[in-house]
Amino acid sequence: MSDDMLRAPAEVKYAEELDYLESIDDGPKPFSWRLSPRMIRMFVLGSERADGIDREIPQKWFGDRSFVERSIVTLASDRGLLLIGDPGTGKSWLAELLSAAICRNSTLVVQGTAGTTEDHIKYSWNVSMVIAKGQSRESMIPSPIMTAMEGGVIGRFEELTRSTSDVQDALISILSEKYVSIPELDDDNIVFAQPGFSIIATANSRDRGVNDLSSALKRRFNFVRIPVVTNKKSEAEIVRFRTEELLRRHRIELDLPPTLLDILLQSFADLRSAASSATSDDDKLESALSTAEQIGVLEDAILHSHFFGDRVLRAQTLAGSLVGSLARRSPEDLAILNKYWHGVVEPRSKKDGGEWPEFLEGGREAIATLS
Amino acid sequence: MIDQPSPFGSLREQLLGAAEQFAEGPVAVSGILSGLVDDVDRALREELEIFPVCHHSPASALAMVRRLREKQPKVIYLELCEDLQPLLTELRNCRLPVALQAFATDIDGFPKSWAPLSVVAPITEASAEYQAISYALETPGVELVLVDRSTDHVFQWAPGEEPQTAAKEEEAGLHGDAVGVEIGDLRPRFAELEEHLLHHGKVRHWSEWWDQYVEQPLSGADYETYRQVMVLIGSLFRRLGPGGGRLAVDEDRERYMWTRMREHLSASGADAADCLYVCGAFHAASHVEQFGVRSEAPFEISPRTGTKWLYGLIPSSHSAIEAQFGLAPGSVSIAAATWSKALTRGKLTPFQLQGQKGARKRPAKLPAPVPQGDVADKLTGFLSSPPALDALDEAELLGWSVDIVRLARRNGYLASTADAIAVYETSILLAGMRNRARPTPYDFQDAAVTCIEKDSVPGRRDVRRLCEILLGGDRVGEVGYDALPPLARNVYDRLAPLGLDLEKRTIQRALLNLQAEPDLVPCSDLLWMLRHLLPSDAVRPIMGERKLGERSIQESWDLSFGKHQRSIIELGYEGVTIEQVLEQRLRRKVWDQKATAAVALAAVEDAILFLGSRRFADELGARAVELLAAERTVDDAPEVLRRIRRLMAYYRSAEPELPAWCEAFATSGYAHYCTLLPTAFVDDDTGVRQVSAMLGFLFSMESLALALGCDRAQLELAVQQSHPEAPAKVALLWAARHQLGLLPLAELRSRADELLANPLVIPSFPQYIIGFVQAMEPVPQLSGFVVEVISKAFGRLPDGVLLPWLPKLITTLREGAAELVPVLVREAGRTFPGSLTAADTWTPPWESRPQPASAAGAAPMASGPVAELLLAHPAACDAVAGVLGCAGEWAAPGAGPADGHPEVSALLDGHPEAALALAGLLS
Repeated sequence: MSDDMLRAPAEVKYAEELDYLESIDDGPKPFSWRLSPRMIRMFVLGSERADGIDREIPQKWFGDRSFVERSIVTLASDRGLLLIGDPGTGKSWLAELLSAAICRNSTLVVQGTAGTTEDHIKYSWNVSMVIAKGQSRESMIPSPIMTAMEGGVIGRFEELTRSTSDVQDALISILSEKYVSIPELDDDNIVFAQPGFSIIATANSRDRGVNDLSSALKRRFNFVRIPVVTNKKSEAEIVRFRTEELLRRHRIELDLPPTLLDILLQSFADLRSAASSATSDDDKLESALSTAEQIGVLEDAILHSHFFGDRVLRAQTLAGSLVGSLARRSPEDLAILNKYWHGVVEPRSKKDGGEWPEFLEGGREAIATLS
Repeated sequence: MIDQPSPFGSLREQLLGAAEQFAEGPVAVSGILSGLVDDVDRALREELEIFPVCHHSPASALAMVRRLREKQPKVIYLELCEDLQPLLTELRNCRLPVALQAFATDIDGFPKSWAPLSVVAPITEASAEYQAISYALETPGVELVLVDRSTDHVFQWAPGEEPQTAAKEEEAGLHGDAVGVEIGDLRPRFAELEEHLLHHGKVRHWSEWWDQYVEQPLSGADYETYRQVMVLIGSLFRRLGPGGGRLAVDEDRERYMWTRMREHLSASGADAADCLYVCGAFHAASHVEQFGVRSEAPFEISPRTGTKWLYGLIPSSHSAIEAQFGLAPGSVSIAAATWSKALTRGKLTPFQLQGQKGARKRPAKLPAPVPQGDVADKLTGFLSSPPALDALDEAELLGWSVDIVRLARRNGYLASTADAIAVYETSILLAGMRNRARPTPYDFQDAAVTCIEKDSVPGRRDVRRLCEILLGGDRVGEVGYDALPPLARNVYDRLAPLGLDLEKRTIQRALLNLQAEPDLVPCSDLLWMLRHLLPSDAVRPIMGERKLGERSIQESWDLSFGKHQRSIIELGYEGVTIEQVLEQRLRRKVWDQKATAAVALAAVEDAILFLGSRRFADELGARAVELLAAERTVDDAPEVLRRIRRLMAYYRSAEPELPAWCEAFATSGYAHYCTLLPTAFVDDDTGVRQVSAMLGFLFSMESLALALGCDRAQLELAVQQSHPEAPAKVALLWAARHQLGLLPLAELRSRADELLANPLVIPSFPQYIIGFVQAMEPVPQLSGFVVEVISKAFGRLPDGVLLPWLPKLITTLREGAAELVPVLVREAGRTFPGSLTAADTWTPPWESRPQPASAAGAAPMASGPVAELLLAHPAACDAVAGVLGCAGEWAAPGAGPADGHPEVSALLDGHPEAALALAGLLS
């Protein structure tokens, strides 16, 4: 089934693994959860030899163990879970994995935007049916959240802080009373949440101040802050893991040379430290320089060399993609990249050699084209 | 050693079997495993009872309390630097944690760059060593012997590099740059092992691992189990550790300790069975030949170096200990909390020094000792059974949850009872996920962060920090008055009239109305000295200042002695009173090899300000003269000039005559700067500012120097010999020549005009101006001219020259702000019009200056009684003229132009009324 989809949700993609874990799980399960908390942790973070299970469960989300534990425990409690962090830190991916492991359904998602209305969170009506048959449960279109309530599963709310405050506040009653009333109906007008229902929301810390959460809503969520991965080793693992997945998805066979991966990681590390020491917004790149951004750069470079190049990933292409993805504002971003290229890449290519000189050349060209 | 069959035979076999089963062959693993058992066996069978401990481990402290009650040994050997022993009795005057400190500034035998050397050994209440110390000091007939190498050996055996220092936070920096020693350092010696243990233990840091896997299971264990497990862990880390320098030092220490113990045993005749040897678990599993009282292997203890060590107690804190020994933040506080809880639960009374600050009560009498049975294998049971998990302590967790919410609310969080419930629930769930029934403080911390921490921290502390505070908080020790060195006691005594509690850790405000309460003057003097000697935060004047010749009527100070107790105590190592320390420091500064005349003059100033001792100031001044005469550069000339001017002004106003050294300074300075002037003028490395300061010295000290026998010709020659090339210095030289009367102002002006008119020189004209600006200091009467030159430059110089130079002018003026700017501004204010309307009609004075009368030299002849007197007796004037070499003739009165002031005559002619009325009035 997963072959028919461009991107299969986690519960489909890892269905077999989840089945296996369910079969060996003998731990206590809260509510109607499909797996016990420990198995969920193992599903997300991978298994170890010491766990003593027959097959290896690969790690799917890379980050501190305590974040995962705290998230799982929050879902087992009375509160919703709000994952907060910089863009590209893997919040949505963690949310998807958690809902897939808990209830085998990660698709009940509401995407928060400036245009999200309360209907998207509660319910709306099938107008033609209402005209034909009047208002009834049949002519009602439940929102993903309401569906999750009825089914006792996890509902997801992406980018909570992008939606306006009045829409956000619709969640307050859902999270505290755990029911939605439908005043339009005379009977059967309350939808109660079944045990197991909870909400995983994600919020972008860069959006802070746009639509701040009300304190009433904050109180109903436990916040788990996901930091940007700065550990080079785990970052390399994430980039490799996600890129391989992308390559598989595009059915591209292309080698990812480790030296190029190193160059990419190193450049991001340099740019991050430059950004953290910058004094004003003009001195730092607009991009958050997250791990997702790195994957984006690599994907771009791979696709470029696959379709327009000689099917080998080269440092020059990588440099072009890096400049192309990070230079969003002209001239500020370009100036920073130019400074970086001349101040850091150039001496490094003289000192270290390897792929750096080619990387230097490619970056220069790309900067020259854009300026 | 006792010859008995080992009780660990079966365990050994079991482990070997397991090793064979899991590994490919019984090679390395089995060696290590059986070695572990051997180590335990060996340590336990030693005649002298070995008590293995780990630092800051409540389990060790608990086991120590129990064991001391049971055994009641007569002698306790403790792994602590032997020369710290005399300090231990002083512990009773302190509030723990404090650190025993050995300090040496006067070093001999170590590289000079290591100075000052400092070693600290922090002591907390929840430690086995404190229990042992208290027991030994409070129980009559018990001897406490420190057996570890002396602090001197700590550095002797240290690797040959300079001790590292790192920046620390305020409270964490309580130990300063000291090298820490502690009892029972027990931690994996290589990173991979620690990482492996943390990973598989599913914990975040070492303290948590220790707490979960050793501390908790052992806190309720019986003594035998405790001992065996600790030696086992010590042995494990020893066998899985890298060799190298650190292990070699540890082995030397073990040899040292065993040698010292055997020496003591044979000297005192004590029975080894009545003794207890308290050492780190790592050392309990030692393999050195000298191990055991029966061993006869020799070990020669190297003599101490000639370094003079001083000893004292300094305040410590939990965070300082954590920072010093790389423990996780909060771990020592959590250990302290665990300790007090375990005491209540186990109904144990800890040993405590009498009179200890913060002591609860007097310890109960000791019960009768219990004889020790044979060693039995407790390890097998311990290792093979899962740890007995603590049951959930509901009341404790509830208490924590409620308290953290209250604390969070006080710190600005919107936390409510609902959060307390959530924290409670989440703690239990988290502990369950981590395989424990009872949430540890770390689980609780995680739960609190999850439930209470939102997107931002409202106050100064986040929830994690609040948890640490809740679970014990950072405790800062305090050294009591009686344990302080004489100097510190003296300081507290002398500041007593202020009526402040200086031991408090908060900032105290002292208000001194010196006019109304003259008895506070000595306090003020002392505070100024402390201000000079202590870090700037410790003593801060808010109002009032002390300068030469000035005294404040009122002063107000911010004092924070509690926080900076260590600095005061360390001052105590240098002397007995503050005055002595200050005197020594000043003396050291002035006699240092790198001292300069400016430094010596600064020291003179400090001596006058703080010590008020004329004799000492004179001594320092004499040194300043020496230093000045020996100087080969003039880099410090501006500083020297400023300081000597200030000092002379002070002496002139305060004393009947200048001290001899000032006079010597003026004469030798005059000769010194005259000699160096020609070189300084041409030397590229000497700046304009330096040369101008030299000229300033020469001109302003001239009258004094000449009166004391110097020769003006020397200066004139020096100026004549100077041939600078740099434009700024050329301008300076012209100014000097003007001052000496060799270059009249008119010529100076024409030279400046020529420069401005010459297009080739224009680009460097700003440099000349810089020189003139600098010349205002030595030649103040030139300020009018400087204003003129700058005005002309602004008027005539092209923008391309003027604009790039402006910043330079501003920085020059800023550097010399104190001396140059007031003069320049005053002069400019006099020259330029004060209002806008006046500006329209204003012409610069140098342009409207009337041309000198054509009959040059024929000055208007004044008439009156003076002229008549001179005319009548010309002999004196003629003689003076002859001496000065002026030729001239006497002019008859009225021989000059008949009307020297035609304007006045015209005015009087035009308006005679006033004059006529006046004449009428007078007549």
